Amino acid sequence: MLEETLVLFRNIRTPGYDGTLDSYRKAGGYQSLPKALAMQPEEVIALVKEAGLRGRGGAGFPTGLKWSFMAKNTGKPSYLVCNADESEPGTCKDRELMLKDPHLFLEGMMIGCYALGCHHGYIYVRGEYFPAIKSLNKAIDDCYREGILGPKLLGGDYELDLTVHTGAGAYICGEESALLDSLEGKRGHPRVKPPFPAVAGFNSCPTSVNNVETLTNVTAILEMGADAYKSLGSPNNAGTHLVSLSGHVNRPGVYEVAMGVGLREIIQELGGGVRGGKQLKGVIPGGSSSPVLRADEIDIAYDFDSVGKAGSMMGSSAIMVFDEDTDVVKLLHRISRFYNHESCGQCTPCREGTHWARQLLRDFLQNNGSERKLNRLQRVGRNMGGTTLCALGDAASMPIVSFLKKFPDDFRQYYATAS
Amino acid sequence: MEVFYIDDQPVPFEKGEKILSAALRAGLEIPHFCYHPALSVVATCRMCLVDVTDLGNGRPAPKLMTSCSTDAMPNMRISTQNDKVQEGRELVMEYLLVNHPLDCPICDQSGECTLQDHSYAHGTGHSEMEYNKRVYGWRDIGTFVQLERNRCIHCSRCDRFTREITGTDEFGMFNRGHELTLDTFSDRAMTNHFQGNMADICPVGAITEKEFRFKRRAWKLRKVPSVCTGCSTGCNITIEHDRNEVLRLKPRENQDVNQWWMCDEGRLTYQQMNEREQRLAKPMGRVKGKLLQVTWQQLYDAVADRLEALKPNGEQVVALVDTHSTLEEMFLLRRLLQEVFSSDQVFYPQQDWTQPESEFFIETLITTDKAPNQAGARLLGLKGSQEHDVISAMKSAKLLLVLGNPFINEQPLLDLAGTTELMVHIASRQSEWTDRADAIFPGQNHAEKEGSFLNKQEHWQRFWPALRPSRHVRPEWQILSELLHMGTATPVQQTPQFSQIFQQMTSIEHKLFGNLALEKLGESGISLADLRQQSDTLAQTA
Repeated sequence: MLEETLVLFRNIRTPGYDGTLDSYRKAGGYQSLPKALAMQPEEVIALVKEAGLRGRGGAGFPTGLKWSFMAKNTGKPSYLVCNADESEPGTCKDRELMLKDPHLFLEGMMIGCYALGCHHGYIYVRGEYFPAIKSLNKAIDDCYREGILGPKLLGGDYELDLTVHTGAGAYICGEESALLDSLEGKRGHPRVKPPFPAVAGFNSCPTSVNNVETLTNVTAILEMGADAYKSLGSPNNAGTHLVSLSGHVNRPGVYEVAMGVGLREIIQELGGGVRGGKQLKGVIPGGSSSPVLRADEIDIAYDFDSVGKAGSMMGSSAIMVFDEDTDVVKLLHRISRFYNHESCGQCTPCREGTHWARQLLRDFLQNNGSERKLNRLQRVGRNMGGTTLCALGDAASMPIVSFLKKFPDDFRQYYATAS
Repeated sequence: MEVFYIDDQPVPFEKGEKILSAALRAGLEIPHFCYHPALSVVATCRMCLVDVTDLGNGRPAPKLMTSCSTDAMPNMRISTQNDKVQEGRELVMEYLLVNHPLDCPICDQSGECTLQDHSYAHGTGHSEMEYNKRVYGWRDIGTFVQLERNRCIHCSRCDRFTREITGTDEFGMFNRGHELTLDTFSDRAMTNHFQGNMADICPVGAITEKEFRFKRRAWKLRKVPSVCTGCSTGCNITIEHDRNEVLRLKPRENQDVNQWWMCDEGRLTYQQMNEREQRLAKPMGRVKGKLLQVTWQQLYDAVADRLEALKPNGEQVVALVDTHSTLEEMFLLRRLLQEVFSSDQVFYPQQDWTQPESEFFIETLITTDKAPNQAGARLLGLKGSQEHDVISAMKSAKLLLVLGNPFINEQPLLDLAGTTELMVHIASRQSEWTDRADAIFPGQNHAEKEGSFLNKQEHWQRFWPALRPSRHVRPEWQILSELLHMGTATPVQQTPQFSQIFQQMTSIEHKLFGNLALEKLGESGISLADLRQQSDTLAQTA
């Protein structure tokens, strides 16, 4: 029987834990930060590198490596910006952390700031997360009151301020450079890269943008050491990750599992299987933008590399399960509608393509489909991939291409019955 | 300089330069919309995609790269013509036209539209788009330009222009996805003085000049390089005309003077070039107190007779010259006074002016000196009205020569003009001087004649004739040179050529103009400081 591996959710799963500073301290909190402060910043980065932590925001980029890219001796301040704009459909893991155990996350953020030599960190929170924002702000206030944050970090000689900035509801502001634009007070538009944020990010200063879960993992790494952390996951995919399980399962929710456990086991054993004893039709394994997997393709280990090998991506570990009764055309239409609505509009293929694809899919739903339109949809979908400035074009492209490839008959059914 | 290769052709580049800018500098065309050399790179139109077959390290790029945002690397190999690139461009063209209204028949940009050109060159000619296009209404966005949002292809050049060039931040993007549109903030009209440039940099017909709307198809226009007469900056312009009417002025790139820009005020000077009502159309002479139309010969003879009778000495001859006059005209006028009357009393309206300082270059284009050639008058040693007493000189004048329309706001001077024995007015437009003149020589306006100006930075620039003048008028330099010949009694063999006059000026004033031949003064002009340096080095090597 698959069970959760509790590292980040250790406190949350403890009965009676309420996420306040007191209870966090009682649970052994704020012990990792002094360890980090006793080390040189480079040593902290080396430790994170050693632990093999990969970013949990979706791309799975090694965090230690990202931190080591930060431009040094530029004469400008450097910034750590936490990307808490969790807006990929299906993902709800960062909210759990911010809402229920904010100090665990903040401690990781503080360690990160120290490691990057940054004296002002920003947390860019998705605007709709009102309770999480409230909880974060309260936690930060408590830290200032207790002297953890402020001119003397944890009573030491390091100055650190943290600011919570709320987004205004744009999916694109989860893209790191658009997020920085938004944080600067501009319209959130992805920037041309290079220069990467590590060279010119927030206010043209060296900036690292990291996900909430990633930074929370840093606390755990400092606490348990690199080797113990690495032993938790599968090779090249260290540690545990938070899986947002949703869709047609009996027990949806956020579960913490070690990297590399079976995808089918997660659905069957943690999720309690498909709702109503129905047959599984397919799984979207990493948020709405990842290519879909059919029911017969999910006997794989759930980590970055294995899911990648299976032709999809683990992304932000958001598993969406759908059963045999699901109309995948409706599902794809819903996904396309989302990307059409969220495309920032600056790049040509994504601006026009997302809308075109949505219109074509609407035709299918209105029984106006045809073989010609199916081919066109495929072409429009394919052409958005890899031709845009940021990854939104790919995100809109991948579901269309994969759904058409994996479930062509479901689309044909629409115009077969019509004619 | 290191090189990379575009379709096997070596292209030199500077370190950190992007593929597209190096290619454009080398004269190679890569189709693009959003890129503009003056603006920041956004890489959003995706039209400039190229296939990097070798990144310089033997490996190809994984996908098509936007050449505007990709650094050129030594020995990089790029294909701009292969099937992959063609397909990429076809795709972008198709997507760009998804919501474009294709109203070319009623669009002012038609004929000079980048979208049209690229669609013709790189598009497929058909589209599978079968849904309604999104539709927005017309917008009046400023005093000088109008916005048609349906035609917009969202290159965001206008947005970047108001942010980076004028610093007025009047433009922004609104809505998202396929509903994205560019517009002014808070529904307010723009107030910057450089709106015409937005029509210039707009690759499609989304932003068009109000002054030019529906007047002429772009392909009808004939283009002549010229210099703006609106102020002492002397922005390089193109006079665009058809059927002997100037329809608009467009800036011409000159990195030493105006870069790519000009102000709206300058664009409006085209109206003066078409001016008919105030025009001095025919030679006139005062007969028994009345101005009557005469022939050129009668006018010259009459002036000669009067001068014979008056025999003015050097003290009694005064010339007033407008700083709108060209260097050649000023030179001839000065020579006329010197050689015929032994006088040096050539006065020009001297004006204090300030060079506006700004972090935005474009703001420095508009100066307070609204004449194009004050620097020329100063250089030729004419007498500035602030340093010399024009009024006392006028008091003893028997002969008054007025070239152009200077000092028209100075009533004392106008009053004194009536007391002179003979007053000659050489100009293309009527003014207060005309009423007081005894002989009126009708000249040509800026668009009709040739000449050169010296701008505020002593940058020497020439302009060419665009319009065909009426047969009753002559260029001022011709009139002055005929008067000069008449006075020195050297017979005029034939009508002089402008190049001869120019040559005369540069050889007599070789210290100032380095004996430069007319052909050497190209379309972008030459800085006098550079010219001096050149002749210094020449003298040293000699």
